[in-house]
Amino acid sequence: MYLLKILGSLIIIISCSLIGYIYGNTFSKRVKNLIYLRNCIQLLETEIMYSSSPIPEALENVFKKGNKEISFIFKEIKEHLLSDRSRGIDESFQVICNKYKTHLNFTFEDIEVITSLSKNLGKSDRLHQQKFFKLVITQLEGQQIDAEEKKKKNEKMYKSLGLLSGIALVILLI
Amino acid sequence: MAPQKSNNFIKKDIKFETNTLNEVIKYLDPALVQIINKIPNDIKERVEEIRIRSGKPLMVCLDGTDYIINKDGSISLNNFNPYISTSLNVSKSFQILSNYSVYAIEEELKNGFLTIKGGHRVGVSGKVVYGKNGLETIKDISSLNVRIARAKIGVSDDIMKYIIKNPNTIYHTLIVSPPQCGKTTLLRDMIRNLSNGMTKYKFRGLKIGLVDERSEIASLYNGQPQNNIGIRTDVLDGCKKYDGMILLIRSMSPHVIATDELGDEKDINAIHEALKAGVKVIATVHGEGIDDLNSKPNLKEIIKEKIFERIFILDNSKGVGTIKQILDGYTYRSVREEDNNYVSLKNIRKSNNYNFV
Repeated sequence: MYLLKILGSLIIIISCSLIGYIYGNTFSKRVKNLIYLRNCIQLLETEIMYSSSPIPEALENVFKKGNKEISFIFKEIKEHLLSDRSRGIDESFQVICNKYKTHLNFTFEDIEVITSLSKNLGKSDRLHQQKFFKLVITQLEGQQIDAEEKKKKNEKMYKSLGLLSGIALVILLI
Repeated sequence: MAPQKSNNFIKKDIKFETNTLNEVIKYLDPALVQIINKIPNDIKERVEEIRIRSGKPLMVCLDGTDYIINKDGSISLNNFNPYISTSLNVSKSFQILSNYSVYAIEEELKNGFLTIKGGHRVGVSGKVVYGKNGLETIKDISSLNVRIARAKIGVSDDIMKYIIKNPNTIYHTLIVSPPQCGKTTLLRDMIRNLSNGMTKYKFRGLKIGLVDERSEIASLYNGQPQNNIGIRTDVLDGCKKYDGMILLIRSMSPHVIATDELGDEKDINAIHEALKAGVKVIATVHGEGIDDLNSKPNLKEIIKEKIFERIFILDNSKGVGTIKQILDGYTYRSVREEDNNYVSLKNIRKSNNYNFV
C-alpha cells in the first residue's frame, strides 16, 4: 500500500513540476528566439546592403545561413510571397509570422516589430533600408531586454510553483 | 516566297511569337494580366509596348500607333469602354518588376528604366528625388512603359559583305540613323555575325568588345546577355564609352570594339585610342546623313578625318529599318550592288542555319 502511495505522489509531483518547467521554459525560449531572430534580421540586412540581392533571394540566403530554429520562417515567407503574384511582402510577413507566433513563443509586440520592418522592406533605396534595419534591430533589442526581465521574474517562479504545488497536492491527498 | 524589292531589313512578315508577350506579362499585376490575356492572339503577337499610367486607360502600342484596351480585351483607337489602370496596378506591377527590391535596381532606376529577364525594358516615371550626387531615385511611380524586345536575328546577314574585309578583318563602320529606325537592332545583329563568323564569306569570327552604355545591345540581366550577341563577345554593361573602350583594349584584347551612340568629345578621343591600338570600331550615331553629321561639333571631326570606311545610312522611308545608303567612307559613293539590295525572308531563314558555327 505504501509503495502505491509513494508511486502516486511521485507521479503527481513529477507531472506538476513538469507543467511548471514547461511553462517557465517558454520565457527563456522567447529570449533565445529573439536573439536568433535578431541575427537573422542582421543577415537580411547584410544581404540587402552589401550583396544587394533581391528580396526572394535574400530570404532564401537568410534561411540557409541563419539558425534553423527560426530561419525557416524566412523560407516560408519567400514561398508564400512567390506563390501568388498579387501578394505584397508585408502581407506574406504578416500571415507567416502570425502562423508561427505561438510556436516561437513570441508576443504580440514581437510580431509587431517584424511586420513593421516588412512594411518598408524593399520599397526604398539602400540608404533608407539601412535606417529601417537599424530601427528594427534596436526595437528587437528592447524586446529582448523585456523578455529577459520577464524570464528572470517568471521562469524560476513558475518552475518552483510547479514543484511546490505538486508537493502541496500530495500533502493534501495524504 | 518571292523576294521583296526593298532595302528594309526588319521584315514585317517575320512571325512574332505570342510567347514573348506572355513572358513579359508575368511581371505585371495579375489584375492587368487578366485584361491583357483577353487581347486576341494576332494582336498580341504584334504588341511593342504596354503603357500603364495610373488613373488613365491601359494602352498598347503596335505598328507605330497606340490603342486603348477595353475591359473586354478588344482594342480601339478611341475611348469606348476602356480599362482604367489604378495606382495600385502601377505600384504592384512595379513591385513585381523590381522583384520586390527597389534597392537592387537603384542604379538602373537612376537612368529611368530597368531591364527584366528576356532583355525587355521597362521605362519608369514618377517623382524624381535629388540628393547630393544629383538624381538619386524615382519614387511614387505613376507610369510604366513595358517595351517588348523582339531581337531580330538575321537582319544583317545580307549586308555583312559590305563590312567584311578579307583576310578576316573588317572595315571601320558607322551606322547613321534618326531615332527609332533600327540602328541598335542592326548593330546588335552585326555584332552577332562578326562574333560567330560567317561560313558564307569564309569569315571566322573576331573577338568583339562591346561597350553597352545604355544596356540596349546585350540587355544584361544578372550578368547574362539576354540577346544573342555571338560567342566571341565580351560585354561591359552600363559603362561609359570612353572608360569602356580603354578598359577593353587593355584587358580583353578585342579585334573589334562595338558601341552605341557616339557624340561626346570623350567618345571621339576613345575612338582615336582604339585606332592607335589597331582595333576596328563599329559604332552608331544619331543623324540624318553625312551633311547632318558635318554640322555636329564633335562628329564633324571624325568624318573629316575619314576614320570610318563604311557608312550605313538608315531611315524609315520604307518602314522601320530601311537602309537608305551604304557609303564608302573616302569617296562617299555608294558601294551597294544595286541588284542585290533586298533582304528576303527566304534568305534570312537560309542563313539562320549556319549562324552558330
